[in-house]
Amino acid sequence: MTQGSGAAPAENDAALRGKVVLVVLSGLDIGGALVAGLLDQGARVALLTDNRELLAMSTAATLIDTAFDARAQVEAAFELATELLGAPDLVVLSALPAIAAQVKALVELTDEEWLGGARTAIRTTLYCLQAAGAYLKPRGGAVVLVGPSLGLVGCRGLVGLTAALEGQRGLMKSVARQWGQTGVTLNWIACAPRALSSVFAEAPLAVKSDAVPVALGRAIDPAELAPVLGFLASAGGRVFTGATLTLDGGEWMVP
Amino acid sequence: MTTTFDENPQRDLLRGRIAIVTGAGAGVGRGIAEALAAAGAHVVIAARRLATGVETEQIIRAAGGSALAIETDVADRAAVERLIGHTVAAFGGLDIVIHNASSGRAGKPALLEDIDEAGWYEQSAVGLEASFYLARAAFPYLRDTGRGRFIVLSSSQGLHGGAMNPAYPAVKNGQRGFVKALAREWGPHGIIVNAIAPAALTGPAASYLEKNPQFKAQIHQAFPLQRLGDSRDDIGSAVVVLCSDYWRYSTGLTIPVDGGNYSAL
Repeated sequence: MTQGSGAAPAENDAALRGKVVLVVLSGLDIGGALVAGLLDQGARVALLTDNRELLAMSTAATLIDTAFDARAQVEAAFELATELLGAPDLVVLSALPAIAAQVKALVELTDEEWLGGARTAIRTTLYCLQAAGAYLKPRGGAVVLVGPSLGLVGCRGLVGLTAALEGQRGLMKSVARQWGQTGVTLNWIACAPRALSSVFAEAPLAVKSDAVPVALGRAIDPAELAPVLGFLASAGGRVFTGATLTLDGGEWMVP
Repeated sequence: MTTTFDENPQRDLLRGRIAIVTGAGAGVGRGIAEALAAAGAHVVIAARRLATGVETEQIIRAAGGSALAIETDVADRAAVERLIGHTVAAFGGLDIVIHNASSGRAGKPALLEDIDEAGWYEQSAVGLEASFYLARAAFPYLRDTGRGRFIVLSSSQGLHGGAMNPAYPAVKNGQRGFVKALAREWGPHGIIVNAIAPAALTGPAASYLEKNPQFKAQIHQAFPLQRLGDSRDDIGSAVVVLCSDYWRYSTGLTIPVDGGNYSAL
C-alpha cells in the first residue's frame, strides 16, 4: 500500500495471515485488487466467480468457476473450495449482475432486465449465504458483503441496482440477527462506487452538496478494502454485526 | 379522525385526485383507501380477491366517498397495466399510486436455510417486481398530472432487519432502495416518491393480542406512543398528508409511521 493513501495500521495486516477467505463474486468484477490485497495479508484465498475476466487472471488464489443460477450449484462451489483450502474464516460476497449496472430510465427497462438485475442479485446473495452458513455456523466466522454506496443514496438510471443493493443489505441484517448467537457476523461495506468498478465511471452518481463533499479529500483506493475486511474478521472486529460501514472517505456520512 | 367524511378535517386535502391503493381489500391498505377517500380522492382499490376489494368499495361508498374495486394480481405485469388503464378510463387520469400489497408469506417465520426459490420469487414478485410494474405503467400519468405521488409501504423490518423471515426485510429494504433511486429519476418530472414504514394493528395482530393479552403490554412498551397504529386514522391519515400539497418538498425518504418505535435514522 502506498504512503499517504490512508493505509491501515500495520497490526491489522496480520489479521488474515493463514486464514481461509472465500471471495464470492457474481457479475461485475470488483475483485482483482481485493483478491491481491487479501493475498498480501497472508490469507489463503479462493475466488468463486462467474466473471470470465477474473477466472482468466494470473493469481495465487484458487479460482473456482461458479454458476449462481441454482442453490445446488453454489453449494457445490463452496464444497469444492472447502475441500481445497479448508473451512472459511471469512466470506466476502458481491453479487452485482452486469445487466443491473446499465444506466437506463426505469420506464425503458424490460421485464427481463429488471428480473435479471434486481431479482437475480438478491437471489444470488440468498444462495451464497445459505451455502456459507453450512461452513460458518458450526465454528463461527465473518461474512462481509460489498456493494457500491449508491445503494444508500439512490442513483437515477440505476433503480434496479439500487433496489438490489438495498435488498441485499436488508437480507444481511436479518441473517445477522438469525446467526448472531452462532458466532457468525455479517456486515455490509458500502464502498465509493468508482473505487469498486470502472462501470460506474460514467454513472450519474448523486452529488453531495457541501463545501467539503468528501471529508478525506481524495478518492478511495481499491487496495484499502482488504484491510477493512481483515479488521472485520479479526477478534477486534467481531463485535460488529448487521452494520453498514461506509468506505467512501467521508462523503455521505449516513445517519 | 371522525367517523363521517363531512366532519373529517382532511376532507378537502385530496379533493378530486385519483388514487390507486394496492392490497386494499383489508388491513392497512383498506385503512389507507378509506383515508384517501375521506380526503376527497377517487380511490381505486386493487385487490387480488375481488370480493375483499368490493367490501372496501362498499365501506367507502356508504360513507359518501368515491371508490372502485378492480381485481388485480400485482405480481402480473399485464394485470397491473390493465389496472392503470381501467383507472384512467374510469376517472380520467392518475395522481397517486400507493403500493401496499405484500405476499402472504411475508408474515410467516422462516430460517434463511429454509427459504426456497419459489418462496423468494413470490415475495419478490409482490414487493419488488410489482413496484417496478406499477411505476413503469403509471409514469406518464403521474408526470402529466403535475402533482404525482408514488408511495411504497415498506416496513421497519427493512430498516432494522427483522429476524423473523429474511426474505421480508430483503424485499422491504429493496423497496427503500427502489424509492431512493426513483425519487432521483423522477424528481425532474415533478413526481414525488417516498416510502413509509408503518406499525399498525391489523386484523391478525389484533386477533393475536386478543388471544394472548399477556403480550400486549410487552409489545406496547416498544412504542413510545404505547400502542400500535390504526390503519385508517394513524397510517391512512399520514399517507393523506404525504400525498397533499402540504408535503411536497421531501422525496426519496422512508418515513416511519410507527408510534416512535424506530428512531435510529
